[in-house]
Amino acid sequence: MNNKMNGKPVVYFDSACMSLKPKQVVEAMNEYYFEYPACAGRSSHKLGEMATRKVKEARQILARFINADEREIVFTRNTTEGINLLANSLGLKDGDLVLTTDKEHNSNLIPWQRLVEKKGIRHKIVRSNDDGTFSLEKYEELIKGAKIISMVHTSNLDGTTIPVEDVIRIAHENGALVILDAAQSAPHQRIDVKNLDVDFLVFSGHKMLGPTGTGVLYGKYALLEKLEPFLVGGNTVEYSTYNGHVMLKAPEKFEAGLQDYAGIIGLAEAVKYLQEIGFEKIKEHEYSLNRYITEEIKKHSKIKIIGPEDPALRSGIISFYIDGLDMHQIALMLDEMSNVMIRAGQHCVHSWFNDKNIKNSARASLYFYNTMKEAEMFINSLNKIMKII
Amino acid sequence: MICILALIVFSVLGIFSATHREMAKEALDCVFRRITLRPCNTGFKEKIKSRLVARLLNRSVFMAKFFNRHYELVSWVFFVLMVASTFYVVKGGYNYYLYGSCNGLNQSGFCAFDPKGENNKVSEINPSCGLEVKSEKNVTLEGVDLLTLPTKNIGSKDTVVLIGCYSCDYTRKAYADIQKLVREKKTNYVFADFPVKEASNYSSELGYCVYKEYGERFWAFNDYLFTVDKVLIYQPDYVNKILENFNFDVNKVNACINDPETKQIISYQVNELKKTHLYGTPTVFINGKAFVGPKPYRVYKSTLNKFIIF
Repeated sequence: MNNKMNGKPVVYFDSACMSLKPKQVVEAMNEYYFEYPACAGRSSHKLGEMATRKVKEARQILARFINADEREIVFTRNTTEGINLLANSLGLKDGDLVLTTDKEHNSNLIPWQRLVEKKGIRHKIVRSNDDGTFSLEKYEELIKGAKIISMVHTSNLDGTTIPVEDVIRIAHENGALVILDAAQSAPHQRIDVKNLDVDFLVFSGHKMLGPTGTGVLYGKYALLEKLEPFLVGGNTVEYSTYNGHVMLKAPEKFEAGLQDYAGIIGLAEAVKYLQEIGFEKIKEHEYSLNRYITEEIKKHSKIKIIGPEDPALRSGIISFYIDGLDMHQIALMLDEMSNVMIRAGQHCVHSWFNDKNIKNSARASLYFYNTMKEAEMFINSLNKIMKII
Repeated sequence: MICILALIVFSVLGIFSATHREMAKEALDCVFRRITLRPCNTGFKEKIKSRLVARLLNRSVFMAKFFNRHYELVSWVFFVLMVASTFYVVKGGYNYYLYGSCNGLNQSGFCAFDPKGENNKVSEINPSCGLEVKSEKNVTLEGVDLLTLPTKNIGSKDTVVLIGCYSCDYTRKAYADIQKLVREKKTNYVFADFPVKEASNYSSELGYCVYKEYGERFWAFNDYLFTVDKVLIYQPDYVNKILENFNFDVNKVNACINDPETKQIISYQVNELKKTHLYGTPTVFINGKAFVGPKPYRVYKSTLNKFIIF
């Protein structure tokens, strides 16, 4: 990002909310609009066929990205839509038990709470350990009889990642299906759905260099075939008569209406970009930045970091608060003083803050394009602010 | 308190900018919630405070710390200052409308509505003439005999007295407005020439004689004298031509000008005018109230209106 604002460089530390976009992604989208802006999968003219081929290629790229079959990739608008689709298509009934963690984004909390109200399902929460890490003990205590385990892979609140292999293994041993919210993990680490043996996985494009309004729902094909589609209509049926219709197979039966073709093509380009850099490098870089920032922040006794102290356990996220202070003030001051852009608030994890009686937190979320110089600018400005707090 | 300040400031800025309009809306919501005894939930207060503290922090840690700790107090101080300045702005506007100066009648201090002070400028009378040093409050018609001066509309309830000089720019500026006022309001009108830029009393004698010999025809002649070249007006040859153009008897007028009795009367008039303590022209008296300098027409008119604007 070369832009300057008010003569100062922009330090963008809000990638957990929205990542910046490489030129290639925008160009790929432009290419669709300028060169073949047609319907994919419907029209048989040259432009239509070109669009169909590009969308198919995008699906293949996304499938390879998580080691899935292309039939297992359903395009959605975002993670929230993916989870809502599953919550409404799994056919849960009165008494069915769903487990989540205590740090779920509203996207993976509200859909289940709605089903508690509407269908009478049961929803239980696996509490984290005191340091914010996942508690396998508590998980094992609650899993008996659970039908669905729907958990955040990497938390957007504090960056902690659950021991996903154990979670899935234990779930399967107990006959439960696992939905993984990978919105914060897919942009930062290699995910292999076959290796994990996860049943469903959802993530968004906009947090991993892709366009806004794009997302993916992965599901084991056999499971997808059993699911009832959530939205129906155009593109979801083979044919219809006045008296009935025949649904298409997955993934088409879940992709009702005209899709965001430019977005899907842009998302595939983003995946190619990420793969070219490599997740090892990304992880290493984010860790070095997080380690520096954590060490500097820990020098201020008033600041409390949410989650484990060890930056290696917090991905690219540093979420912190000061007792009695509205952290929006810190975020606004950083923005005003030096164009350091972080997010403040409850980060759509209101439930956790309300439970802990903490007003809100400031969250710096890093990505591979951030530099050590930017981290230093952030710390310098924060140090200045701490002088007046 | 900062919400009220912000509401006023952003409302004004919002006239010109959509961004500030949104902030004004937020401030309004905040003020509304506060006056209905609810907390301001838009985060507006924090937003404004944080931005101000951040700007101060870039300059001085001490100032930022002080503002951060005492911003409620600082907000109150600014609120009081804003109320006071609003009062003075309104008062200034009121004065400007009524008197042509933000500072009051004939006050020549700075006025944002009249930054060059055009409404108070006068052709100053040389103090060596024996006049008092400029002081608006002393200017009065009390005890001044105006009976020998050209007068019209005798018997009207309102009286306008214009003391000016033919070659003075500021008198020329006010002259047309005074004529319009007299015409519209049909006031008693007295005109006095005070020779500010003249070594002799020639122009006063000329006016006196034309009025004495030709009565009402003087007023058209007088109007014309305010339109001719300011230098030529004191040259008898040029004046004679004007007299001819108006079909006046040139010899008769000149004989009157040279008459010792005329000189005596004009000298008496000048001495009487000096009793007004005037320090520059034009000086206009409307029902005895003095207006020094060329005021906008509405100032003269509002003095005669029953109510301020009508």
